[in-house]
This record gives sequence, C-alpha cells and structure tokens, in this order.
Amino acid sequence: MRIGAAEAPAVLIVPPLFEEMNRTRALLADVMRALAARGLCGWLPDLKGTGESEAELATAQWDDWRHDVMAAAAHAEARSGQPVLAASIRGGGLIDDGASAIGWWRLAPVAGASLVRDMVRAGLAGVEWAGYAPSHDLRGRLVDAAPVAQEPLRTARLASDAAAADVKLPGPALWRRSEPGNSAELAAAMAADIAEWHATCAAC
Amino acid sequence: MVAAFNDEEEVDATLRAVLVDVLGLAEAQVRGFDESTALFGALPEFDSMAVAGLLTELEERLGILIEDHEVDADMLESFGSLLTFARAKALQ
Repeated sequence: MRIGAAEAPAVLIVPPLFEEMNRTRALLADVMRALAARGLCGWLPDLKGTGESEAELATAQWDDWRHDVMAAAAHAEARSGQPVLAASIRGGGLIDDGASAIGWWRLAPVAGASLVRDMVRAGLAGVEWAGYAPSHDLRGRLVDAAPVAQEPLRTARLASDAAAADVKLPGPALWRRSEPGNSAELAAAMAADIAEWHATCAAC
Repeated sequence: MVAAFNDEEEVDATLRAVLVDVLGLAEAQVRGFDESTALFGALPEFDSMAVAGLLTELEERLGILIEDHEVDADMLESFGSLLTFARAKALQ
C-alpha cells in the first residue's frame, strides 16, 4: 500500500508482526496519510503470507520477510529517486536490518521472545498462536530475534513506557488491544517525529 | 533496554500505565484505583484475552518473566493483589 506521491521522499513503514499488525493497521494508515500531508510518501509492504500477499503464511520463512522489506525499500527508492527512511513498529524492528535506507526509526521495539510468549499466552486463552500457523523456521527464528543496531537510529517509545528512548510519544499501546482501535494523537505524533527524523537523516 | 525499578512508586505508576494502555481505560479512572479496586471479573474490559496482553506488557516494561503457574484468579482479583505481585517480581 502506498499513500502519497510516488516521486516524493519515501518512508517505508515496517509493520508489527502477526496480530499486532492487524491491531495497528488503522493507526499506520493514519500515519501514512499524515506523512503524505507533509510532502512525504508512505509505503507499507505486505509481508509474505499476510495482508494481500497470495502466499500462505505457513510457507513463509523468516528471511522471506526480511527480503520483502529489502525489496519494498528498493522499489520505493526506484520510484522516489532516493533511499527510504525505514520506520518500524514493534516486531517490524526485527526484520528492517537488510533494507537500504538513509536512517531507521523504531517505535517500541521488542525482542522476538516476548512476541512468542504473547502468542503462546493468547493460545492458552483460546486458539494456538491466535489462529496463525507460522512455519517452523519463522517460529524458530522469531524466538531468537532481537532488533539489530543500525546507524543512524532513532528509538521512540510511548510516554507511559519507562524504558530508555530518544523520544517519548503520547498515546496508547494499540498493539495490545483485543478490540481494534485508533489514536489520532499517536498517529500525529508519530508522523511529526518520523518527518523530522527523515529531514535530519536526509541532511546527513 | 529495560529501566531499573528502584522503588514501589515506579512499579505502581507502571502498572497503572499498562492498565490504561492494554485495557483502554480512562487515565482518570485508573488514577482512582486503590488496593481494594476489583479487576478481573469486575471490569468488562478485563477478560481472558486481555490478561495475556497485560501480562506480556508488564513483562516488557518491568523487565520480569511471569510463569503460567504464578497466574491465578487471586493475583488478578484486585489492583492491590496485582500490585503486590508486580512489586515482588520487579523489586526482588
């Protein structure tokens, strides 16, 4: 999905993984619209086996997702004429390391092991892995995955999160909500900070 | 990556923030919680699916690990019981 002019400076949104992706879909669309209003273009890839991808999730390997992000970055760069800024949310920060980018921005990055614990726990309350059927490879790589250090990198967290960050943004942890929601406040704050970081990195 | 938790007030503030974030409760409502405020079974937002998200978010923000056998109805019953559990885990 793309929102904005294809020739405009590009921001590649790397979405959260599994159920967290669905819970933040409306938020990310708002962020992309706000980026477009600022003269940028937001690109959101469908990872293999998710969204409009025609493949089954069970056939997706961990490196397929990393390559999907790399390919999306290359595609956006070809259209806009300059490398993207990678803006990752949650588990998206685990698969953004291979992309060619002028910089990285991550909101509430998380270790893969924590995502796995959440999926297993959700299973105890009902369906295993919340109804997702990831491949053995995807599951195994996810549990060991940690965000890979990048340069330049700006880390954002929610204001209510005490962990260290370069910036704290106001708004709720929508990726935790069992009922899908949205936050105009968080979307606006994300877009403003991403645009500022894009300008900083583009000037480097 | 995880902040150090030095005192009981920080754990209290983190627990309230997680309740707001995960359950979608109003900040003013959660600010008014005291030790006897009933949670699991009393708040419509606090169902079994929400419990999973709440526990994982507490793990991330407090830098702790919660084992399944530590989770039961008593621990989730009230703000006080959940706070006692979170403090024991985070400040040990």
